[in-house]
Amino acid sequence: MAVTVLDEAPNLRALYAKAAVTAWGRGGDLPTDRLARKGVAVDPAHLAAYTRVCRLPLDDVLPATYPHMLAFPLQMALMSDRSFPLALPGLVHVRNRIDVVRPIGAGEPLDLEVWAERFAAHRSGATVDLCATVSAGGQEVWRSRSTYLARGATAPEGAPAADVEVSVGALDRVAATWRVPADAGRRYAKVSGDVNPIHLSGLTAKAFGFKRAIAHGMWVKARVLGALAGRLPDALSVDVAFRKPLFLPSTVTLSTAQADGGWDAAVRNASSGSEHVVGTIRPL
Amino acid sequence: MADTSKPATRKAAIVGGNRIPFARSNTAYAQASNQDMLTATLDGLVARFGLQGAQLGEVVAGAVLKHSRDFNLTRESVLGSRLSATTPAYDVQQACGTGLEAAILVANKIALEQIESGIAGGVDTTSDAPLAVGDDLRRVLISLSNAKTLQDRLKAVAKIRPGQLVPEIPRNAEPRTGLAMGDHAAITAEEWEIGREEQDELAVRSHQNMAAAYERGYFDDLVTPFLGLARDNNLRPDSSLEKLAKLKPVFGTGEGATMTAGNSTPLTDGASAVLLASDEWAAERGLPVLAHLVDAQTAAVDYVHGGEGLLMAPVYAMPVMLARNGLSLQDFDFYEIHEAFASTVLATMKAWEDAAFCKDKLGLDAPLGSIDRSKLNVHGSSLAAGHPFAATGGRIVAQLAKTLHEAGPGKRGLISICAAGGQGVVAILES
Repeated sequence: MAVTVLDEAPNLRALYAKAAVTAWGRGGDLPTDRLARKGVAVDPAHLAAYTRVCRLPLDDVLPATYPHMLAFPLQMALMSDRSFPLALPGLVHVRNRIDVVRPIGAGEPLDLEVWAERFAAHRSGATVDLCATVSAGGQEVWRSRSTYLARGATAPEGAPAADVEVSVGALDRVAATWRVPADAGRRYAKVSGDVNPIHLSGLTAKAFGFKRAIAHGMWVKARVLGALAGRLPDALSVDVAFRKPLFLPSTVTLSTAQADGGWDAAVRNASSGSEHVVGTIRPL
Repeated sequence: MADTSKPATRKAAIVGGNRIPFARSNTAYAQASNQDMLTATLDGLVARFGLQGAQLGEVVAGAVLKHSRDFNLTRESVLGSRLSATTPAYDVQQACGTGLEAAILVANKIALEQIESGIAGGVDTTSDAPLAVGDDLRRVLISLSNAKTLQDRLKAVAKIRPGQLVPEIPRNAEPRTGLAMGDHAAITAEEWEIGREEQDELAVRSHQNMAAAYERGYFDDLVTPFLGLARDNNLRPDSSLEKLAKLKPVFGTGEGATMTAGNSTPLTDGASAVLLASDEWAAERGLPVLAHLVDAQTAAVDYVHGGEGLLMAPVYAMPVMLARNGLSLQDFDFYEIHEAFASTVLATMKAWEDAAFCKDKLGLDAPLGSIDRSKLNVHGSSLAAGHPFAATGGRIVAQLAKTLHEAGPGKRGLISICAAGGQGVVAILES
């Protein structure tokens, strides 16, 4: 295992382009190399823009989902590299678990490290986990595991079974209704840098087999946490499954219920009731 | 002392306060909304006094500059805070009197035994200020949204003129006179012959007092850092008469113009909150009682047609409150006169000293007299901290309560705050 330390965040637009032109002819095992950045400072203006687009309160503590903004470009660099066995176009984010070990101050310099692991067999393809750990002062303060599904791909011989489900309670009471506008994907893309074409417009989404543009799962997850601001434990684990794509524009509902000292939550389509995101929030 | 003919009511205790450092407009809090700042301030108070999940009697706060979406600003902030979601809340707005008026409202409910605890606060941002479209464009947009057919919509849109697209920016001006608050204060300063040097002296002392208070850790349990700011960024510990003397007047005209950016408060962003309670509630939770809110009074003056200065209403409120409590202006250990402008503080004190004014305008046999200046704004006031309109009252109440508590039991403090619209709020605190 080798760790490559980058001086700055990779450019996501360039990585998407690279991933697209090198999509074919991939295969083999997961790379064991890791990417890292040291002493990363949070840009207060970016944090403010992020909290605005995700409807999170702005204060001196990073939202649980914010370190993903820092880790995701490194994960994209891993995935777009030719050594990564799965083609990036077509990869679907199906699960994301974030552990906040302790509240992270917006002024703390952060060390990041990302890697890929757990190439697993799924009934409709293969999954892979992109992991990240964030440390401050030499102590791990945050970690995440993003599970991506590659439809039609084959996991290596002897691979474990994919683990993509998150189970929640009944959640039959609607707490809020959100009108998600047509430009929600573009707005979040602008802040997060995640310019995956499936989020940007109907036309670009169609090119990848979606009937309309779809919302970023991590944006929905952040909004769920925003809706629960003030009612979350300091150290927590937020584990969500991304189920049906949230097509833009849409009207969706948020259902919440207290569970095990934390919350269960579901975001569903307001008319069809189909589930976009379900998840659990628990004290760590 | 207290009038014994009145039925005895309990006095609300001031347990403590919390505020975020105040920031000059478009600096540290340029990206923060009123709700962000008020929520963070409430959460700071919650953390300080162990109120996680607590259901309080009520939270009362307000903002002077408020977006229409923030119609329920305080309740929304409570819902986003660590207080119990079952804590009621409402907004008040009395310009710069908002914070103190909020404290009076909470204290009165505690005194009447309607509630046992409550938070009073205020917040303002001039950085994230609401912009409004002009009346003409607003009417067009309303008819556009009411239009049912494409033809109606096109008709409505056709009425838009380029000149209407300039937004209305909120101004620190009186709607009825068209004068900025500073221009009003300059008129009063001239009437009362308030000199440039005494204004600058008051400003320097405010900066020095507040800087010294920060140095000795006085604000450690009154202020929680926010967005990287640990102290009010308007504070100039090295402020001096020489430096202030160099500034050009910004309000008033000609020779008589004395008011500068140095002896006037700047536009500021910030929030404050004060925890009030019954003595029993505080004792049950093992919380301190810094002081009690003894009494309060508001007054208003006709600054439009009546010839009184815009910011002179506290001058009128004071004798009413003093008489009700059988106190003289000199019966206090500390005075907090809000420094909207140095000249306002000086004109207020001069009016209380003026026999003719006190007789003719206040109907008093003798003037209220002078204030020992060494007891005035001893830990600095708005000229140093800045003045996020609705947040100033909470800053002053918490600051004075702590000052009285430090001085020991039985000490009295007086608050005087002037407000736009020709209003004023005064209050008595006692340790």
